[in-house]
Amino acid sequence: MLSYFSNPQRFDQLARIAIPVCGFGGLVLAVIGVYISFFASPPDYQQGDTVRIMYVHVPAAYMASAIYAGMAVASFIFFVWRHSLADAAADVMAPIGAIFTALALATGSLWGKPMWGTWWEWDARMTSVLVMLLIYLGYIALRGAIEDRQLAARMAAILAMIGVINLVIVRFSVEWWSSLHQPASIIRMDGPTIDGSQLTPLFLMMGAYTLLTAWLVFYRLRSRALVQRARSIQSRREREGM
Amino acid sequence: MSALLQVFAREARLAWAGGGGAAGPAAFFLACISIVPLAVGPQAERLVAMGPGIAAIAALLAVVQTAERLFADDASDGTLELYVLMPVSPALLALAKVLGQSAATLAPLPFIAMVGGIMFGLDFAQSALVGLALFCALPALALIAGFAGALAAGVKRGGLLIALIAIPMMIPALIFASGAGRAALEGEWDRAWATVLLTLAVSLGTMALMPFGIAAAMRARTG
Repeated sequence: MLSYFSNPQRFDQLARIAIPVCGFGGLVLAVIGVYISFFASPPDYQQGDTVRIMYVHVPAAYMASAIYAGMAVASFIFFVWRHSLADAAADVMAPIGAIFTALALATGSLWGKPMWGTWWEWDARMTSVLVMLLIYLGYIALRGAIEDRQLAARMAAILAMIGVINLVIVRFSVEWWSSLHQPASIIRMDGPTIDGSQLTPLFLMMGAYTLLTAWLVFYRLRSRALVQRARSIQSRREREGM
Repeated sequence: MSALLQVFAREARLAWAGGGGAAGPAAFFLACISIVPLAVGPQAERLVAMGPGIAAIAALLAVVQTAERLFADDASDGTLELYVLMPVSPALLALAKVLGQSAATLAPLPFIAMVGGIMFGLDFAQSALVGLALFCALPALALIAGFAGALAAGVKRGGLLIALIAIPMMIPALIFASGAGRAALEGEWDRAWATVLLTLAVSLGTMALMPFGIAAAMRARTG
């Protein structure tokens, strides 16, 4: 299946279908999701209207991790089978993941101010998300810094794969670190149960984020392939012209 | 085996070649520790509380400084390609290379950390523990810096890039190395010893895993 779609022509056919489907589906889900999140769902009995930030925040945090996982899998496929499409996928996913990570941090901070009374709390979860943002930035910087494209791709793949193991260890050590000095009162972010009226907008928004990300990834991959083709045609013309 | 020893010795000699270069990280570490009281104020209780953390941060920064030199020259003059062609596991070779350089350049850091601990107002036993925890963290720090250096070798002015890649990965070693000292400050010696062992575990785990990452980066360069 992997080798099947690594053929540029077949990928192009797939992308031509996937781009409108994901884009349109994501848009519809986003419109319905935003409407239900902000207007048609009841306020939380504890958090009031602040809970609506969660409908933007939780899907962003989920995308941040999901995209990193996707990046790592793509890097692995590229590293083992040398499919250049997998490398391109990791490349286009990295900035999207970094932006979702930043969005998760920003919305979490906006939610924390009315709920916890502070913009930032050095708790385990927030700190590990911050570290993930740094790892994304390191990955993007490494890719940008190495001039030889092929070399940059290989080095970035190695970094992404080692980064997965690292994220797990960071997660563990940060939990240990925050348990060393537990704050006086622990406010759990997720209550014991989530009501169905809150699950609906949450899932709608998650679906919207996922589809819109898929749309962006397919779109950027296809435009990259087109740019590459245009370049090769141009260079061939120049050679023939001479 | 002898090939690995020779690589180890070569790195140690290279670190010392060109006069005093090996003392750079130690001097940097000392400078980092010395400026902290000047910035945060000389209040004794504040300095005591910050001591273990400052030692760990300064060590992290000093190790990052060494990383660019480790692979950049060998990548530009082709030594890395010869290393990959050698009939030795590239992972073991990477381990020998990183440990060779760190044995030459980072060995003084735990002792300076001990002296620094006393200057920050820790008692002798606490300072010794800070030095010990740092010693246990150094292999992990050096290998992670080496990995970042191997990825970024050949990039012009790669120092900042190496720091950006290495620092997030060094967080576990940083947490445990400074956590041991902080536990000792609170008089919880059982917890302090356990944390020193955790630091050592992080280093051993890094020694088991990271050489493969460095070896992959070395091989990616050659073919």
